[in-house]
Amino acid sequence: MRLGLLAAVLAPALVLGGCASVSPVLAPRLPDDARRTAVDLDATPFNPQTVHQCGPAALATVLQASGVEVSPADLVSRVYLPERQGSLQTELVAATRSYARLPYVIGPGLDTLLAELRAGHPVLVLQNLGFSFNRVWHYAVVVGYLPDDDVVILRSGVTRRLVMPAGRFLRTWRLAGYWGLVVLRPGELPATPSATAYLKAAADLESIGQSRAAALAYGAAAARWPSQPTAWLGLGNIHYQAGNVPAAEHNYRQAVRVDPGFLPGWNNLAEVLAERGCFDTAITTLDGALAQPDATDALRTLLLQTRREILARRPAAYAADAPACGQSHPGEYPAGNE
Amino acid sequence: MRRSNIRKAGLYILIFNFLVATFPQQALAGIIATPSAIAAQENHESLSHLKELLAREDVRGQLVQLGIDPAVADQRVSSLTPSEIAQLQPRLDSLPAGGDGVLVVIGVVFVVLIILELVGVTHVFNKF
Repeated sequence: MRLGLLAAVLAPALVLGGCASVSPVLAPRLPDDARRTAVDLDATPFNPQTVHQCGPAALATVLQASGVEVSPADLVSRVYLPERQGSLQTELVAATRSYARLPYVIGPGLDTLLAELRAGHPVLVLQNLGFSFNRVWHYAVVVGYLPDDDVVILRSGVTRRLVMPAGRFLRTWRLAGYWGLVVLRPGELPATPSATAYLKAAADLESIGQSRAAALAYGAAAARWPSQPTAWLGLGNIHYQAGNVPAAEHNYRQAVRVDPGFLPGWNNLAEVLAERGCFDTAITTLDGALAQPDATDALRTLLLQTRREILARRPAAYAADAPACGQSHPGEYPAGNE
Repeated sequence: MRRSNIRKAGLYILIFNFLVATFPQQALAGIIATPSAIAAQENHESLSHLKELLAREDVRGQLVQLGIDPAVADQRVSSLTPSEIAQLQPRLDSLPAGGDGVLVVIGVVFVVLIILELVGVTHVFNKF
């Protein structure tokens, strides 16, 4: 009787532990042509962790795999929190940027993770090795999977090649919110990118001063999603900051060509027009944009402010725009770059 | 007295760093920077500069409390974007901090195995 009760209590624990899973986990999440193919990014470096420091070790592993020379010891002061005996996801992301790499948090789901591995990107994952009520957070790097054995391969803790049943891995990953990070070289795209998430990551790179890396990322985004105005705006702003105003204007024009409802593009185009003395064209550009019905309040405020500043800068004796203002910047940009 | 002066000096340095760090964006009078464009498209309320400055100082203080050297904390805070600062500030001490725990888990598994063995569900140890 008591034994039966104990078994009843323990049976779910067995199932949760993944011991009882029989149906394959990996195969249904693989495309038909890759259903039998094992992936093993065996060249991925390994950094055995010291006590509590799986964060620096796992981050060093993915940074090294992307060509950065860095050791876990270098990363301790950047990502380790002594009193928490661990590292925060946000700080892993931030530290990645400071090495001029683009941190991309992959979409949730095992199929996304497997796709990154097929593209050759090791994935830094957060796992909860405990339970939902007693959490044990751990970082590891997934470097491969074997569909026939239904296992994933990890660089984890002090084990260079930890082979874990896919069902058990999935449980630990699900309990950590399916959080996974790939570290990309500037200009490299993840396997299944979302335009919005990628552009946000590129803008974050730019905002901490990694303009070169950000420019390459915007360029890759513009090539992959030519109809995304933010990518063109990003390229334009980088050119503008580097003092290349004609190239900036070219990209701003591209931004509003692909999306005439994109107010930041019109705003920045007006600004560079005013800078080359085309004040009337700048004002009509802004007025046209402000007349759009779906402009958000925040953007409307910014555009009105730009309009005031341009009017204030216009010389009192200003008669009218020169004829050249009706066109793109003269001699602006190599043709065929659109 | 001296301690508070040092704290004050730290705050001034932080404000200075902040102004220098944001200077390129300030200098672009009429240009909408790409991060702002993304935030505005998503219609996010972004923190005002003053609020962001205070939030940064708060996160920095929390990092120091969690055992980070003040100079290093400055560097770590300056590598965070405004939205990351806003995300960390209210719950830095409760967010998941991946450490290890491999041993803890092995312990749990071991206890379960022993119980199963005692109860007679498994016969793992008979093989030894």
